[in-house]
Amino acid sequence: MEDFVQLTNITKVYQMGEVEIRAVDGIDFSIKKGEFVVIVGPSGAGKTTVLNILGGMDTATTGKIIVDGADITRYNERQLTGYRRNEIGFVFQFYNLVPNLTAKENVELALQICKDPLDARTVLEDVGLGDRLDNFPAQLSGGEQQRVSIARALAKNPKLLLCDEPTGALDYNTGKSILKLLQDMCREKGMTVIVITHNSALAPMADRLIRIKNGKVSGMETNAYPVSIDEIEW
Amino acid sequence: MGKKALRKEFFMEIRTSLGRFLSIFFIVAIGVAFFSGIRATEPDMRFSGDAYFDEKRMADLQIISTLGLTEEDIHALEELDGVEKVEYGYSVDALCQAKDSSQAVHVMSILPTMNVLTVEEGRLPGKENECVVDVDYLESGGFSIGDKICLTSGKEDEITDTLTTDTFTIVGAVSSPCYIGFHRGSTTIGTGSIAGFVCVPEESFRTEVYTELYLSVKEAAGLTEFTDAYTDRIEEVKKQIKEIQKEREEARTRGVREEAQEKITDAKQELADARGEAEEELAKAERELTDGRKKLEDGKGQIETSSAQLEQAKARLLSGEEELYRQAGQANAQGRQLNQKIEEYNRQVEEYNRQSQLLESQRTLLEEQSAALERQREQIAQEQAKLEEQSVQLAQWETQLVQERSALDAAIQQWSTLKAQYDILASGNPVDPDTLALLHKMAEELAFGEQQIAAGEEALAASRKQWEEAQAALTAGQNQMAAAWQQLEAGQAQIETARIELDAGEQQLKTAAGQLSQAPAQFEQAEKQLSGAQTQLDAAQAEITKGWQQSREGESELLSARREIAEKEKELSDGEKEYARAKAEADAKIADGEKELEDAETKVREIESAKWYLRDRDDFPEHAGYGENADRMRAIGKVFPVLFFLVAALISLTTMTRMVEEQRTQIGTLKALGYERRAIAGKYLGYACVATLTGSIAGVLFGEKVFPFVIITAYGIMYEHIPNVVIPYNIQYAFMASAAALICTLLATFFSCSRELREQAAELMRPPAPRQGKRIFLERMGFFWNRLSFTWKATLRNLIRYKKRFFMTIFGIGGCMALLLVGFGLKDSIFDIGLLQYHELQLYDGNLILNEDATEAERTEACEKLAADARVERTSETLLKQVTIGCGDTKGDVYLNVPKEAEPFFRFVVHRDRITKEVYSLEEDGVILTEKMAKKLGVAAGDSIYIQDEEKGELEVVVSAVCENYMQHYLYMTSSLYEKIYGKTPEYQSVYFMMKEGRETEQEEVGEEILREKGALSISYTSDIETQLNDMLVSLNIVMVVLVISAGMLAFVVLYNLNNINITERKRELATLKVLGFYPGEVAQYVYRENMILTVLGALAGILLGKFLHQFVIVTVEIDSAMFGRNIDFSSFVYGFLITVAFSVFVNGVMYFKLKKINMVESLKSVE
Repeated sequence: MEDFVQLTNITKVYQMGEVEIRAVDGIDFSIKKGEFVVIVGPSGAGKTTVLNILGGMDTATTGKIIVDGADITRYNERQLTGYRRNEIGFVFQFYNLVPNLTAKENVELALQICKDPLDARTVLEDVGLGDRLDNFPAQLSGGEQQRVSIARALAKNPKLLLCDEPTGALDYNTGKSILKLLQDMCREKGMTVIVITHNSALAPMADRLIRIKNGKVSGMETNAYPVSIDEIEW
Repeated sequence: MGKKALRKEFFMEIRTSLGRFLSIFFIVAIGVAFFSGIRATEPDMRFSGDAYFDEKRMADLQIISTLGLTEEDIHALEELDGVEKVEYGYSVDALCQAKDSSQAVHVMSILPTMNVLTVEEGRLPGKENECVVDVDYLESGGFSIGDKICLTSGKEDEITDTLTTDTFTIVGAVSSPCYIGFHRGSTTIGTGSIAGFVCVPEESFRTEVYTELYLSVKEAAGLTEFTDAYTDRIEEVKKQIKEIQKEREEARTRGVREEAQEKITDAKQELADARGEAEEELAKAERELTDGRKKLEDGKGQIETSSAQLEQAKARLLSGEEELYRQAGQANAQGRQLNQKIEEYNRQVEEYNRQSQLLESQRTLLEEQSAALERQREQIAQEQAKLEEQSVQLAQWETQLVQERSALDAAIQQWSTLKAQYDILASGNPVDPDTLALLHKMAEELAFGEQQIAAGEEALAASRKQWEEAQAALTAGQNQMAAAWQQLEAGQAQIETARIELDAGEQQLKTAAGQLSQAPAQFEQAEKQLSGAQTQLDAAQAEITKGWQQSREGESELLSARREIAEKEKELSDGEKEYARAKAEADAKIADGEKELEDAETKVREIESAKWYLRDRDDFPEHAGYGENADRMRAIGKVFPVLFFLVAALISLTTMTRMVEEQRTQIGTLKALGYERRAIAGKYLGYACVATLTGSIAGVLFGEKVFPFVIITAYGIMYEHIPNVVIPYNIQYAFMASAAALICTLLATFFSCSRELREQAAELMRPPAPRQGKRIFLERMGFFWNRLSFTWKATLRNLIRYKKRFFMTIFGIGGCMALLLVGFGLKDSIFDIGLLQYHELQLYDGNLILNEDATEAERTEACEKLAADARVERTSETLLKQVTIGCGDTKGDVYLNVPKEAEPFFRFVVHRDRITKEVYSLEEDGVILTEKMAKKLGVAAGDSIYIQDEEKGELEVVVSAVCENYMQHYLYMTSSLYEKIYGKTPEYQSVYFMMKEGRETEQEEVGEEILREKGALSISYTSDIETQLNDMLVSLNIVMVVLVISAGMLAFVVLYNLNNINITERKRELATLKVLGFYPGEVAQYVYRENMILTVLGALAGILLGKFLHQFVIVTVEIDSAMFGRNIDFSSFVYGFLITVAFSVFVNGVMYFKLKKINMVESLKSVE
């Protein structure tokens, strides 16, 4: 199968005064379509930076990223926005829901700008919030909020679902159910999902596991038989 | 903050969040600057005024007395505790001829040290006839230094009763601390208002007593005028003065009365003296009369004796005269005889002379004849000789004739011979040519000879004839000669006879002459005798004439004596009559004098007690106004700065709250580390404290200098003679503003800190719970809500959710809008009044004031001249005078306006309701009062008010309508109502006039012409008043400009700050949107939609707020004599709104860049 996503020698350098910080220092990897990818690494390894660059929220200092055949590193600001708008779904560690909008409205917020959206209600039902449509974020638990966040990302029907520590702020069981949801979405809808976590216990559930350390890929392995999250304990 | 690390962190905090620090700093600085600046303006105005008045040593109090003031008054006042110094002065109001009109001026003496005049030009007067003039009046009156001004009193008495001269030379232009503005006060002469003041040396006044006293109050100079401290101090001293006032008034009254009484006593004495004198004189007259009578009787007796004597003398004269006549007759007869004789003698002499003459002439004639005879004799002899000669000649001629006869006979002979020859020859029939020629020649000679002989014969015949004639003539002559001889002999004989006769005549004459020569001697003797007689007669005649003359003289003397007697008698009786009359008169006079004295005595008893008028500085024109302006500033200072301050406080509050919230995690950390609450809160409180304090100090330093300076300078337009601008720092306001700012921010910080600090450390480390999302009430209105697009729903919900922001933004924008509206509205209201007043309500172009001192006819003439002018459209006469009206205890001064005829008047003055524009007409049963005064008195249509009249007391009238009016206060009533309540016909002394369309510019020419009339006093033009009004309002406008600019600045800061906070607060949300793929424009729209709605809502709220604020400000800044417009023009709403929106758009434009700068990565990293 063709590489759906391909990163070639990506670096990201921050100039902090006289000190040069290389957050990402030459990362290469590629991902196939429909894979559930887990990127693990310790804090500060540069995994979020990579995700941001991949998601079009940040630009790489050097290197090349091909997503579905398009070189996004050559995109300008506006093209990047369009890329985020139509091809990327984001799930944040802190959900980042708009507090003044209900669950459904938060999903709709994303839908109204993309080309080929799914129905908000269906998606919310899919993520198991069929009965909490009209609740405001403050009225939802953390897990539920994250589900709304996932629904918002999914409803855009993106090519790529990027999740940055989706369970970071959640308790164990909730986190697990969120991961389950993500895995299910990947399996059922054939969506390419990239999850960042510092928890290497999640490694078995991934189709592809990428380890990052000090801004470099320290290892990448594919898992022919990923296990369901239900079977993983940590 | 004893901890070093924490302290360091504190300074680091300031350095890293310099933006926030500065935003608090500036907002506090602006708020404090405005608050303390505007507030300080009020005291600064007072200080400035006070500095000026102190510098000019303006008197604190002035005492004017109705009966004047004396040296004793000065002493009494000087002894008072509170009085530092007393100076006296004189003053009088006079009319001064300026340009074409005469205007009232206040003439006052220059005080030694107080009320120092500022010499603007020229110098102070040195001499009695020099003066300095009000610098404003110098200009308005058209004078220049070196001109002379002439003053008249404007009353019955002469100005020279008060002043030593009525003409003064202007030597300088001055300003006086007594007159700080445009007004110069009012008077009872001229138009009633004083146009300017004139200062003269004290010596120019004649008046004995001082007109006024000026006092300076101890310790008052140290106090600020227009403050309670000063007023209290003055009141204190006033009280002291009032304590002695009564006594002094009485003393003065007594003085005046005593003086009068003294005069009366003198008068009494005089009267008594006069009475004695009169009686004496009368007695003397009586004596004289009696004497006269006696003398008259004597005179009469004398006349009788003289008369008798005269008669005797006359008789004697008559007899003497008769005798004289007789003698004169004799003398005359003798004279006549002599005359006859003389005449005879004369005749004889004449005859003799004639004879003698005749004889003489005969002798002469005879001699002549004799001579002529002799001459004839000679002549005849000559002729005889001539005849002799002729006879000789004739004889000769006869001889000649004979000769000629013989010659001729010879010639005949010859011819005959020749003839014979010829005949011989001819008879031979000669054929010989010679012979023939000879023959022929002989024939010719013969013919010729024949002819000659004929001629000779003829001539001889003629001569013979002539000779014969001469012979005849000679003979005649000889005959004549003989006759002449004969005659001559006869003549000779005659002459001889005549000569003998003559000799005889001569002899006779000689005898007559001898006789005649004896006569003259006889005559002489006779004449001598006669003349002697005549002389005697003449002497007698002369004597008699003299006698007669004497008699006549005696008679005329007698007559004149009689006449004299008669005259004397008449005189005497006249004298008696006169005596009687004089006596009566004297009695009457004495009675009158006594009566007068009595009257005078009652008058003295009635002399009104002297009254002191105690005036302080507020009683000078516009002084109180200056204080009021300061009060007005205070009123403004109470509203505007508070508004500013409130906004500033809110801003710093939000900023600090935001700061605390942002640093939630840090607080949690510190707390977790074990720092006590106080230390943690201390950091934020300290931060707020430092920012606020520094901001306050900067604000005070700036605001308390700049705002008062700008505003006081602006007011300088109205009070151009106060050059002082004193702007000290007002610690009070500085402290007040700073403390308020500090308390606001510290409290805000404290509350947000304590809220955070109350939570557990762990809780603080976690991100804050999302804000409670809530449905808004609009959602319940399904029909409306469902129709909204999703974005609108989100916007609306956002708006309503962030209530604090919502209200603050509305407040900020509303405030901005309101302030703009106030600014524009004030402009409308203030500049409207000129327009409304002089273009909609008072439509006349000018007002002619008639001269009340002129005669009725002169006034009428002036009126008629004005009405007849071709450039004038129409005129209307009216009565215009100032009266005091009241309702209950409230009173006010208004102009009573009584039009002569209603018809033209309503074309000059429109009475209408301000709101409904309903036009009222002047009715018989009520008066129309202008709005501002009606409001002041608290009356409406239908209520009654009273007019105060000096004579009639309070006159009650019913207000029939209240009309729109902006300048001054008027009370309109019909002439019949006036007559009814005043009981007299109104004296119209004012004429409104209107120029013809298009000829308004010529009004001044018309005015000049009219003012030449005696009946015209002065003229005022509406356009001048309007200009003056607008000038005055400009200063207020400047204050407003300051306010509006500040408002704009504030609005900008507020909007910027709020937007900034909004964006910062919602950074995450916006970053999420960005991540979701919203284009920058869409993100901005998301924010702007809210902002625009807020702007519009804020502007609407601002309109509401602005209207109220405008109303408040208008009422506050309004001057007493004017009502400012209450309306804000529609365009002002539009402008205000557009400017507000423009502000908002501008701020949002700036925000766009801030939005763009939101970093998705940074904002999504973690929740802070």
